[in-house]
Amino acid sequence: MASSSMPAKRSKSPSAPQQMLLARIFHWVNIISLFIMMTSGLQIYNANPVFGGRGGWSFPSFLLLGGWLGGGRNWHFAAMWFFALNLLWYGLYIFITRRWKNRFASSADVKVLKASQNIKRKNYALHRLVYTVILPILVLSILSGLAMYKPAQLYWLSALFSNWQTLRVVHFLAIPTVIAFVLVHSWLALKVGGLRLVKSMFF
Amino acid sequence: MGLFVPKLSLSRRQLLQWSGLTGVSLLMGSCDGEPLTTQVGKAFEPLNLRLQELLLSQHPVPEYSIKEIEPDKLLINTFDATPQIDPAKFQLKIDGEVKNPLQLGMLDIQRLPSTSMVIRHVCVEGWSAIVQWGGVRLRDLVTLAQPKSNARYIFFKSADGYYESWDIASALHPQTLMAYQKNGQPLSADNGAPLRLASPVKLGYKQSKWVTQITFLTELVPMKGYWEDLGYEWFGGI
Repeated sequence: MASSSMPAKRSKSPSAPQQMLLARIFHWVNIISLFIMMTSGLQIYNANPVFGGRGGWSFPSFLLLGGWLGGGRNWHFAAMWFFALNLLWYGLYIFITRRWKNRFASSADVKVLKASQNIKRKNYALHRLVYTVILPILVLSILSGLAMYKPAQLYWLSALFSNWQTLRVVHFLAIPTVIAFVLVHSWLALKVGGLRLVKSMFF
Repeated sequence: MGLFVPKLSLSRRQLLQWSGLTGVSLLMGSCDGEPLTTQVGKAFEPLNLRLQELLLSQHPVPEYSIKEIEPDKLLINTFDATPQIDPAKFQLKIDGEVKNPLQLGMLDIQRLPSTSMVIRHVCVEGWSAIVQWGGVRLRDLVTLAQPKSNARYIFFKSADGYYESWDIASALHPQTLMAYQKNGQPLSADNGAPLRLASPVKLGYKQSKWVTQITFLTELVPMKGYWEDLGYEWFGGI
């Protein structure tokens, strides 16, 4: 669908980057489900603030989704399926097609970051590093979420987080981390490939 | 923009509700407390219910040591007033789809084998507390009442007007108690004296205090539970 609407290329410029449809779908589902997870998550947070407990520090209502605790849980436990299964099929896809071998940051990228004088090359390596690091963070948010959702049946998982407050904090930290990631990721994408690269990931 | 709608009658109201999904209202988080949120909850509750039933096991949940009890963390949540019940006059009624309906006083209940457990009590709000509960296993009361084979749910009625309903599997869990003791002390009125539900496999709102009647049902009734009827999910498993 993207190719048909592409403007005529000038002969000098390299052909516009194109992403696979699967990659664009993954990206979209990830953005929308994470947005719902975060806003409904803050709604749940406010029922008993992670920081300060009852009467503790809470978030303003324009950041919340669901209207009340029950509504926030409705959204959270619906969007969790899209978020987690999306990440799962992406993981399987990357694994089966062996894309993991060259898709993610490696020691070569770290070497570039340390030694290279080429700014463009460095930005590219940094970009790879950033979107590689976010993956384990997203997986951690699922694991900490599951540990809090089913602490009795998945007691072994909850036990990994040592105590309840730590578990809540770890789960909450997904929000600031993802927001920071979105900013850095977008900025680096712009630097590395310009608006054309950014557009190619969406349309 | 062409909106693809399958051939079914879509009312204006539904259309307006769904349009909230794509509009600014979602971005601004102002689709609050309203139909779309409720619809999302209803659409996913059956799937989430399946997942929770699948995860529920009849094996005991590992317990904590006495030293790990967190007495200050158990907050008091009550939807209305706190009833003061004279334990000498208290009667627990067990009825519905059972072969042997019965009424038990507190002395009868305390003569039954007593179980103590130290478990994590988890509130839907997000906090939790490690608590010791002592009482009679609900499954022992179930054995006494002999439910008929078609009994699949249990309805709990409380003295303060609170009500709850449970799946029978969670009710028969070996750590689901009708508790009369907390943290080594007799249960206080605030915590549900003389008798309350306590279980590691359900969220706090499922664990009714001041329980006076246990009724076996073949089907859920429209009154699923006080909070469920306001929009919480029914299963509430953890």
